[in-house]
Amino acid sequence: MKTIREWIKKHRNFNFFAGAGITSLILLVALVGIFYTPYASTEMNAAAKNAAPSLQHIMGCDNYGRDIFSRVMEGIRNTFFISLATVAIGTFAGILVGSVCGYFGGLPDDILMRVNDALFAFPSILLALVIISLLGTGTINVVLALGIAFIPSFARIVRSEYKKQVTLDYVQSARLMGAGHLRLIFVHILPNIVPVLLSSVMIGFNNAVLAEAGLSYLGIGVQPPEASLGRMLSEAQSYLFTAPWYALFPGLVIVLMVLGFALLAEGMTEE
Amino acid sequence: MAETILEVKDFGIEFHDHDRPERVVEHVDFSLQKGEILGIVGESGSGKSMTALAIAGLLPRKKLRKEGQILFLGEDLMTMERKKLRSLQGDEISMIFQEPMTALNPTMRVGMQVEEALRIHHPEVSAEERKRRALAWLKNVEMDDPERVYEAYPHELSGGMRQRVMIAAAMVGNPQLLIADECTTALDVTVQAQIIRLLLEINQKEQVSVLFISHDLSLIRQISHRVIVMQLGHIVEQGDVEQIFNAPQEEYTKHLIAAIPQVVL
Repeated sequence: MKTIREWIKKHRNFNFFAGAGITSLILLVALVGIFYTPYASTEMNAAAKNAAPSLQHIMGCDNYGRDIFSRVMEGIRNTFFISLATVAIGTFAGILVGSVCGYFGGLPDDILMRVNDALFAFPSILLALVIISLLGTGTINVVLALGIAFIPSFARIVRSEYKKQVTLDYVQSARLMGAGHLRLIFVHILPNIVPVLLSSVMIGFNNAVLAEAGLSYLGIGVQPPEASLGRMLSEAQSYLFTAPWYALFPGLVIVLMVLGFALLAEGMTEE
Repeated sequence: MAETILEVKDFGIEFHDHDRPERVVEHVDFSLQKGEILGIVGESGSGKSMTALAIAGLLPRKKLRKEGQILFLGEDLMTMERKKLRSLQGDEISMIFQEPMTALNPTMRVGMQVEEALRIHHPEVSAEERKRRALAWLKNVEMDDPERVYEAYPHELSGGMRQRVMIAAAMVGNPQLLIADECTTALDVTVQAQIIRLLLEINQKEQVSVLFISHDLSLIRQISHRVIVMQLGHIVEQGDVEQIFNAPQEEYTKHLIAAIPQVVL
């Protein structure tokens, strides 16, 4: 306990702790939501239609009388999973494409980067829209669509880092020791770009949360009756004046989630 | 000293990255015997580092043309298959770089980096044996506490220590040829002296041939058996160290030697 306190004292990184605090609080709520929700997330109750927040329903009820808090718990889980998977796809493919481009340069770089530019030319939401209209809706397809839309920005960041690293002496030195391309790319250079990658993953995660919310808001993300934060927002807009809490709470959670991760990213780059 | 390790014949490099081709090295001929230290001296842009990089196989293949032959143990490095070349690099030919600050990977423990050549070229060597040899070499390069250095990251070491780590990493595979490209330039004088002494010792003990590249004539004089003087991509003069320094034939060499700063105490 004492060492933890000393560590905190030494680092005194407000951003990091605030971010970690907010994020873990939200994750805790989502985690509890797997095992226990006050009401079933799809349980309708005609008597509680658009009910205001009360002791029974701390965030109120929606237009079907479903408990908003229970749905938020489920929504965080969906949103979080989609964002995480999206960033995972984007990062993984981005590292593959970016490292090949940055490391080898030349023709593969030209070809892959032009494809990348073409993808980049579309806003990621629009690109995801196109992919979903090809694949159809559904959680997995949303993840795929957003993931693909996220590749170009990661590839670009990774590529420029590799371009920088590949000229450094330690890479030359390892090459002279006979290390092959794969070994150089993944064992020698990759650990050196982790700091940059980490903060872009964090920022990417935020964008993914917002993009998922956007897609669901447009009605092509998570399908009803499943809850996601964006979906709830989009359903809430017709009741903005009769039941403002319906929009307020999911929106607030999105803001907190993004804020938490932004602070976490900020704090990590400070470290 | 009979065996010829390295023979460079009529070697030249021409850059093609601008409108007009540019010749940076031309008609370079020399050879290196087993256990010999050959110093290459010359001003900036004389082509000494380009020659070293070419021998190490580190020159990019694009945008420049190479001619002549670089024979390592009788085989031409320039026409050799890539795979074969890679099997020589790090195992038979290794190199120490100029900047010890950047030549080590900042995210890898020192021990890992010293072992790298062994790990790549001799996968049959067990992990314990690898560690044993790495520690032995860290001890050979006069580390006070090899165990600690083995576990350390490069930023925890001083410049001189890092350069010694580089030497250990270069020597761990028992190479035939060690290329030292301005390896003392970034260090202060006392550390320079230590590195030079170390290289001489290793050369004696391991019978490794050393190609020592520097613009510092007094260092070259201390360490080399034979010397090549280069200017503008050409070899101006080559010969035994005593002959070059005591009886230089060419004007350029005479000027260079006359320019050595003399410290009178």
